[in-house]
Amino acid sequence: MFENAAIIGVGQSAYTRRPEPGQTALHFMRDAVVAALKDAGLNAADIQGMAVASFSLAPDAAVDLAWKLGLSLRWLAQDTNGGSSGMSMLGNAVRTVETGTADVVLILGGDATGLAGYAKVAANYNTATQKHLSPLGHGGPNGVYALVASRQIKKYGLEKSDYGHIAIAQRQWAAKNPYAVYRAPLTMDEYLAAPLVADPLARYDCVPVVAGAQAVIVARPDRAPKGRPGVRVRAHRASYNYDNQEGDGLQTGISTFASELWQEAGARPDDIDVASIYDDYPTMLLAQANDLGLIPGNDLARFCRVTIGEKRFPVNTWGGMLSAGQPGGHAGGLNGISEAVLQLQHRAGERQVKGARLALATGYGMTMYRYGGTAAAAILERVE
Amino acid sequence: MSAGITIWRCANCRAGFFPEPLLCPRCHGKKFETNRVHEAVVEEISVIRHMIGQENWQPRRIASVLTSGGPRMTVGLRDESGPGATIELFEEGTAPFGRAKAK
Repeated sequence: MFENAAIIGVGQSAYTRRPEPGQTALHFMRDAVVAALKDAGLNAADIQGMAVASFSLAPDAAVDLAWKLGLSLRWLAQDTNGGSSGMSMLGNAVRTVETGTADVVLILGGDATGLAGYAKVAANYNTATQKHLSPLGHGGPNGVYALVASRQIKKYGLEKSDYGHIAIAQRQWAAKNPYAVYRAPLTMDEYLAAPLVADPLARYDCVPVVAGAQAVIVARPDRAPKGRPGVRVRAHRASYNYDNQEGDGLQTGISTFASELWQEAGARPDDIDVASIYDDYPTMLLAQANDLGLIPGNDLARFCRVTIGEKRFPVNTWGGMLSAGQPGGHAGGLNGISEAVLQLQHRAGERQVKGARLALATGYGMTMYRYGGTAAAAILERVE
Repeated sequence: MSAGITIWRCANCRAGFFPEPLLCPRCHGKKFETNRVHEAVVEEISVIRHMIGQENWQPRRIASVLTSGGPRMTVGLRDESGPGATIELFEEGTAPFGRAKAK
């Protein structure tokens, strides 16, 4: 439990499928910072620490971004853990504030690679990808997770429509999120008729690349805007390279710490009111949910058809990346954290989960070779 | 093109790996021998029908395979081999490929 650190503000830029000419990731990140500062009731001069993650900074580094934002800092970190960067940065930020290293920390993620830029990122993600996967025409992460999805379907007896329940439910949530890129209703017929991208994954199983940015501000609880409930991190855990890529990818690094996470939080899966589970693919949402103990009896099919399909448990109430879009995994993960904060503060508007007091958020990323190698999760709570 | 694919085998515990590690993930030994593996069994396949940022893309087949030398790897398939099929492996540059084993 982190008693002396709280999330006190969140903000995001607009999301767009295709940025305007000259509109870079830095512009989106600036907009997210301005929005988060306004939300927290702070000025840029109040920021003492910053953590940032983006595919779009190079050749700049974090300190160059601090310069461009006019931030003079006593703590600075650049995170390279892809889809778990948001959650990794949250863990580092709360520990930094908790120990008094900095009183106010900005967490920032954003990208505007465009489709061609994203293709370059995907083809050169790491040495293993560059040397051993890209020359195959493996399709980037779509190809990698297509193979994982085939294993999951076989192991758990899933049907194609099971993934559809996740995509459809999230689209229903996205309709209530003005920032989501895809908000039109999605039917099961449309889902099943969508063109295949990488068998068995079809269009609505694959996260759409967008441009955008997210920012979160962590500070001592007494810096929170007056009259607004704070959000504390009850427990946080992370895992990096949990199995040396020797497994099947159907378990994630979350499996290494889930019991510790629940124990430290003093909570059980049944206690969670709302969850943000990293959703680059429905396949990986299910893998994380199963690792966390959210799926009784490892019955993934029932979880899709009943728990999600019948709206018994709110997951990715902002629409998830599958509908809102993925501005790089870094910002995508931060969006899930931001939504959990809004839900716990009862500021989620039309998509508010009534009486939400305890939330779960996860991150998953870094497709090293056969699947992702980083994961992190936190239990967040509303504090009056 | 060269027949087989290079894997790295720990000189201490004999576990095989692909790609090349620096320390053995199992025993943390630092000495490796290279082996050529020539066969694998296809476990899962996918057809890459769309490549982001590419026009006129022609579908390609990839597969997750269990090699006779131990490690699993992802290969490009040059024919219609499916799950359960035994394939022969070959390298083009640094990339692993496979096709049905000649009878």
